Amino acid sequence: MPAPLQANSLRPRPQTGFVDPKVLMAIRNLELRARLVVEGFWSGLHRSPYHGFSVEFTEYRSYSPGEDTRYLDWRLFARSDRYYVKKFEDETNLRCHLLVDQSHSMTYQSVGYTKSDYARTLAATLAWFLNGQGDAVGLFTFDERVRDYLPPRHRHGHLRQLMLALERGPDGKHTNLAEPLRRVSELARKRGLIVFISDFLAPIEQLEHHFALLAAAGHEVAVFQVLDPNEIAFEFERPMLFQDIESRRDVFLDPVTVRAEYQRKLKQHSEQVQGICRNLGFAFHRLVTNQPLELALLDFLRSRSRRGKIIRRRARS
Amino acid sequence: MNFLSPWFLVGALAIAGPILFHLIRRAARERMPFSSLMFLHPTPPRTVRRRKIEHLLLLLLRCACLLLIATGFARPFLSKSLPVDTATGGQQLVLLVDTSASMRRDGIWEKARAVAERYLAKASPADQVAVMTFDRQVRTVVSLAEWSSWTTDARFASAKQRLAAISPGWMGTQLGFALTAAAEQFQHNTPDGTLPKSRVVVLISDMQEGAKLDGLQGHEWLKDARVVIERVDGNNESNAGLEILDPSGNTTGQENDIHVRVVNAGNSRKEKFRLDWGGGGASSDIYLPPGQSRTFTAPKLAAGTATGKLQLSGDDIEFDNTSYFTAPEIENIPIACLGMEPSNDPAGLLYYLQRIFQPAPRRNVQLVDSLTNAAFAIISGKLPQEQSSAVRDWLTGGKSALLVLNNAQAQAFATLLGLSDPSLTESSGDFALLGRIDFKHPIFAPFDDPRFSDFSRIHFWKHRRWEIPSALQANVLADFDDHSPALVEVPVGKGRLLILTSGWNPEDSQLAVSSKFPPLIQTMLEWSGSTAPVHYQFRTGDPIPSPATSGATVQWQKPDGKQIALAAGAPFLETDMPGIYQVTWENRHRQFAVNLPADESRIAPMPIDELARLGVPIGAVKEQAAATARVQKREMQRTELENHQKLWRWMLAAALAIALLEIILSGWLARRAATVEAIT
Repeated sequence: MPAPLQANSLRPRPQTGFVDPKVLMAIRNLELRARLVVEGFWSGLHRSPYHGFSVEFTEYRSYSPGEDTRYLDWRLFARSDRYYVKKFEDETNLRCHLLVDQSHSMTYQSVGYTKSDYARTLAATLAWFLNGQGDAVGLFTFDERVRDYLPPRHRHGHLRQLMLALERGPDGKHTNLAEPLRRVSELARKRGLIVFISDFLAPIEQLEHHFALLAAAGHEVAVFQVLDPNEIAFEFERPMLFQDIESRRDVFLDPVTVRAEYQRKLKQHSEQVQGICRNLGFAFHRLVTNQPLELALLDFLRSRSRRGKIIRRRARS
Repeated sequence: MNFLSPWFLVGALAIAGPILFHLIRRAARERMPFSSLMFLHPTPPRTVRRRKIEHLLLLLLRCACLLLIATGFARPFLSKSLPVDTATGGQQLVLLVDTSASMRRDGIWEKARAVAERYLAKASPADQVAVMTFDRQVRTVVSLAEWSSWTTDARFASAKQRLAAISPGWMGTQLGFALTAAAEQFQHNTPDGTLPKSRVVVLISDMQEGAKLDGLQGHEWLKDARVVIERVDGNNESNAGLEILDPSGNTTGQENDIHVRVVNAGNSRKEKFRLDWGGGGASSDIYLPPGQSRTFTAPKLAAGTATGKLQLSGDDIEFDNTSYFTAPEIENIPIACLGMEPSNDPAGLLYYLQRIFQPAPRRNVQLVDSLTNAAFAIISGKLPQEQSSAVRDWLTGGKSALLVLNNAQAQAFATLLGLSDPSLTESSGDFALLGRIDFKHPIFAPFDDPRFSDFSRIHFWKHRRWEIPSALQANVLADFDDHSPALVEVPVGKGRLLILTSGWNPEDSQLAVSSKFPPLIQTMLEWSGSTAPVHYQFRTGDPIPSPATSGATVQWQKPDGKQIALAAGAPFLETDMPGIYQVTWENRHRQFAVNLPADESRIAPMPIDELARLGVPIGAVKEQAAATARVQKREMQRTELENHQKLWRWMLAAALAIALLEIILSGWLARRAATVEAIT
């Protein structure tokens, strides 16, 4: 469960050996950023209090005569003189779709880098991580329509293509959350993991319907809402003209007057998204751009681990 | 304080800009981009602050800067007492009366004179009047100074008397030059030192379309000068005229037809005319629409007749219906060819010369072997020594010759030039080409065009090197590529000798087979003066060149029988009437025909717009023009005063200083504001 929208959430969390996001975003190469996060994550994992989780669950099963001998683990046979079949490789081969919002509202920034930079780094990190595990990773980038689509693959050079697609900055004007979900439900026929990264600063009337389609198709969905600290706190002082980045509409505002109302509406909106996810069993993560990315990765893996247990429990029952 | 350009003061309104900016600046500057306004609703702006003017000192500086710039551009000056305008003089009037041949029509001249007398009578005592006439030339009958010198009572009578003595001539109409000459008569001030009220040229003419307007383009007219056109019309009659074309230019033509140009005026109502030589000879009917000009072949002149008078009939006006003709004489040009091989020897020079001079209807070139009566001589290098002295004497008398050095042992060469040692040597090497050529010299001038100037294809197998003694005053017209002279002009007494250091015989060069050879020999003949084309047809006013360049006086006779004796070489200028002019010199006799220009027959009225298009200030004179001149003068005085004071410099300097102060102050305020913003 993500933390509620409070002022203290805007302050960076205590650093526990993770890379400072400002330092990370100063690196121009997206692939390098992703590698740094994943490798830092692995090295920090030794000190991690969380044990026992894994994206893949390895299992050995006794060999039955007549089965294909290709899956026999010959090393185990050498050690134990027993025939075991490695089932995990086939079962855990994951197809993941990353859906990344590239609309113009993602270009907002108050910490030195944009929400889009943060979101793309997150997507690149997940892609790098999953690719390292042998999973197939695909990509949708979208604004008011789907911009780039790379089908999930695990082959040489695919990760490079994915990074190149992510490096193209946002150029869309508006945000349409339903369109990429509709497309991914059409294209992703096999069950897999769908990671949705957006600021969700758009109408969400159609969101539940499309999320439900994905859930019905058996997809596992992880939702990341990326927000700038100033979007949450709205720490402006003087009255001035505010211009909507996407629509270019000017509105004169006195921040002191409207701050409370704004925060209430934003919280309500966010809770609506969160409620939809909870109802459908999706993992919801709110990320503020001054938080270390490793924490996002950690949250993601923890939620997957929990979900794996739930599924297994359901299967046993 | 006065201003030279007060409309620049409108620029001072620009101070409204800074005032406005100081009122609204804050509201316009603050704009904050935000990711989404979907959770925000507008709040009404608090506008109380905006009514206040911020940074009053800065605003005052900016306004002062703009005011000073606007004032500077308005060219201020401190007014002093300007001199009072003294333009109280009279009018300057030039009566320009047309006396061309077209004014000979019935009643026209009387009308023109009446108009001129009307203007003379109207002249006030303060006015200055000049009377000029023009046809092909401009003549002053009464000058402005002369008019002023007369007593007031005698002015009109004297001018009228002079005008009465004038009658139209037989010349063409040069209206353009006449107008510019009349405009130059204007003086800047009247004799009593005052400015003239106005300057007017009164053009009294039939304004025929055949008048020439040369010289008007680009003429600078005085600002207050005006041209008033007083057109005198005829009786709207049909007119056609004719002019026999000069046949003397056609020296090589085969036909002996006489061509005549007939012009039908644009306002003519007749189209059918008849040409005849008079006296019941041959005649021909012609058809020519109005406004057109066409060349016809005249009826055949009676055989054996040297002169004729071609008449046109069928129109209403007579003065231009006669054109005179003189048959060109056959031109005999004896050229002495000395020291040459037989004419049937292809290795010699004469063989090729004979082929150049083909028979022509009006020119007969004879190659003779004697200098007697020869117009030109072509001398081979093989001229016998005993003939050389005779040739030199002949040259010294003022003749010209071409010496072809086709032999290095030319004995005649030294004798002709009066040299003791000719220092001729035979060239060595394969061949030579012509190098530098003086295309400015009359011999080579016709070749001075990229199409004809290529002499590099002519190979000279042999030539003679000649060290030209400096005492000879020789002029090298062309040299070979080894820098030895090829064609040299040397004065011999009164005459001139051309020396070609190679021959055109095949042993020496390819010159004879070159296309350059015939025109080169032709230009040499023309250079010597022996074949200058003689013209027999002239227009009234044209000078007739003297047929004799040397000798005793030349006796001329005009068509009216008047005898005039002129020195040899002096052109005859009194071609003031059409007819046959006769000249006698050295027991020779020649006739020339002088005719009216055909354009003089084009008596349809000229469109006045044409004059206006050429910049002639046409229009009635008004007092307003004089007033304009006075205003201009006063304006000039104001400009001088302003130029002397130059207050605008101080204004702009002050504006610059204030602008500098404004930059410093606004920079300081901006820094202070930034600091305050950072702290808050």
